[in-house]
Amino acid sequence: MASAIAGAPPVNSFSESHARGRRLVDSIATVMLWAAAISVIGMLILFVVYLFVQGASAISWHFLVGYPSAADAGGGVGPEIFNSFYVLILTLIFTVPISVLAGVYLQEYAGPGRFRELVQFSAESLATVPSIVMGLFGLIVFVSLFHWHFTALGGALTLTLLNLPTMMRVTQEALSGVPATYREASMALGATKWQTVLRAILPSAIGPLTTGVVLVSGRIFGETAALIFTAGASVSYGASAYDFNPFHTAETLAVHLYSTQREALVPDAAQIANGSALVLLVMVLIFNVTARLVGRQLTLRFTGKAP
Amino acid sequence: MVEPLDPKPSALKSKMRVADLDVYYGAFQAMKHANLDVPERRVMALIGPSGCGKSTFLRALNRMHDLTPGARVTGSVTLDGNDIYAPGVDPVAVRHRIGMVFQRPNPFPKSIFENVVYGPKIHGEGNSKRLAEICEKSLRAAALWDEVKDRLNRSALDLSGGQQQRLCIARVLAVEPEVILMDEPASALDPIATSKIEDLIGQLTKDYTVIIVTHSMQQAARISDFTTFFLLGDLIEVGTTSDIFTRPTDKRTEDYITGRYG
Repeated sequence: MASAIAGAPPVNSFSESHARGRRLVDSIATVMLWAAAISVIGMLILFVVYLFVQGASAISWHFLVGYPSAADAGGGVGPEIFNSFYVLILTLIFTVPISVLAGVYLQEYAGPGRFRELVQFSAESLATVPSIVMGLFGLIVFVSLFHWHFTALGGALTLTLLNLPTMMRVTQEALSGVPATYREASMALGATKWQTVLRAILPSAIGPLTTGVVLVSGRIFGETAALIFTAGASVSYGASAYDFNPFHTAETLAVHLYSTQREALVPDAAQIANGSALVLLVMVLIFNVTARLVGRQLTLRFTGKAP
Repeated sequence: MVEPLDPKPSALKSKMRVADLDVYYGAFQAMKHANLDVPERRVMALIGPSGCGKSTFLRALNRMHDLTPGARVTGSVTLDGNDIYAPGVDPVAVRHRIGMVFQRPNPFPKSIFENVVYGPKIHGEGNSKRLAEICEKSLRAAALWDEVKDRLNRSALDLSGGQQQRLCIARVLAVEPEVILMDEPASALDPIATSKIEDLIGQLTKDYTVIIVTHSMQQAARISDFTTFFLLGDLIEVGTTSDIFTRPTDKRTEDYITGRYG
């Protein structure tokens, strides 16, 4: 061995000092990245725990199904929970068909050109409109111009305007993810373009489309500003807490949370707001999980393969 | 190699006839004045180096270029004497009668059954008993039935590459075309799967006219009755496969056969 002959201690050429320095920087970077990732989880846990601690005491059967109270303590959020789902469903009924068809047109039919750019530009502009401005528009059109006053339908239509661009974008993305070979295969079998879209392309995109609906639904559940002026900040006192008339006022849970915290006369307003926040969070979670399960089933059904 | 009944193409009934075919991609001319007679119920191989226009030629035979923006086709292609590019001809009807199998297996992300009956369904067959019959018949004809009969409802994507390609052939057979175009159908497959596809092609000539693009001269020699040689967008020579491989008349064909082009 060379070192034995020279009489010097053996030096491992892999442990030079500058290499050690670089290793240290590498370790620090790894720790920082890990800490950043952990803090995201930490904040989520902190947030959820806080909501549970604050809101759990407000939750009772009466709170979940009862009517809100105007002046006394002990009001519930029954109609608000129903309205949140009702407005969501109404909105999806308008949003999904229009945006999916528009997305299919842009992605599969419209060649590159003026018209496609115009639609794209309009959608992007629509997407950047703040929801409070959209709410004001809904107030002017549905509430005043149409004389509907505060209605579930007016709220749903306003939310449709708000969410159309997103859902259209999602559709375009989902369709662009479908391999061109499916189109070729279908056309080569003598299918028309519409048959190809309906039977080969849309079923293949069902997974991303479901994800898109879930994302949009989350936003609809949480939307407040666009609804205060359109669906209103009070519930209708009908025969039951569950009012299916789309022309009645329909305060959602998110709006209720805002209005109780902001202007309620009831002595337990803070308590009700905390409880509402917790219910809203749990509702969104349950909805997301259910929607994903449904999406999985649809994917399995349409593509014969688990996603 | 399957020995043709009569070595001269002209002695057989012509199924498809291509006259003065030009194909342009934008300003680029990818196929120049091609003329070809395709005999009925035989295998016609299209060979030539990469970029020679053989796939371009094939895709002109069932109007697949209609789907490519910027592609333009002139000249005539007839099926039993009817020009498929004549005004008023519906390309959808053309593709119903002239099926196509692609280079990469491209089954839909659906069950095996749904893949096979996709064509019959879009052409209006709704009877589930009838669809089941078509499915079995097509899978048998594609030599895949025994391998998949117990799992028709499983995803087609779970099959191996070779099985997927035979499924794609079954899918084409299910619409009962008269001509089947194949664009290097075995190039993405291993040797065993390739030989299964080749055997299958031999079987198909009982009922179908097959036109196959291949980059493998050995494959052309093994499976085809006639061979057409393309070079740089020109159709150079056509003849019986044995003539093309043993006594080509054109110097360029000979150079290619003997390995002087890539």
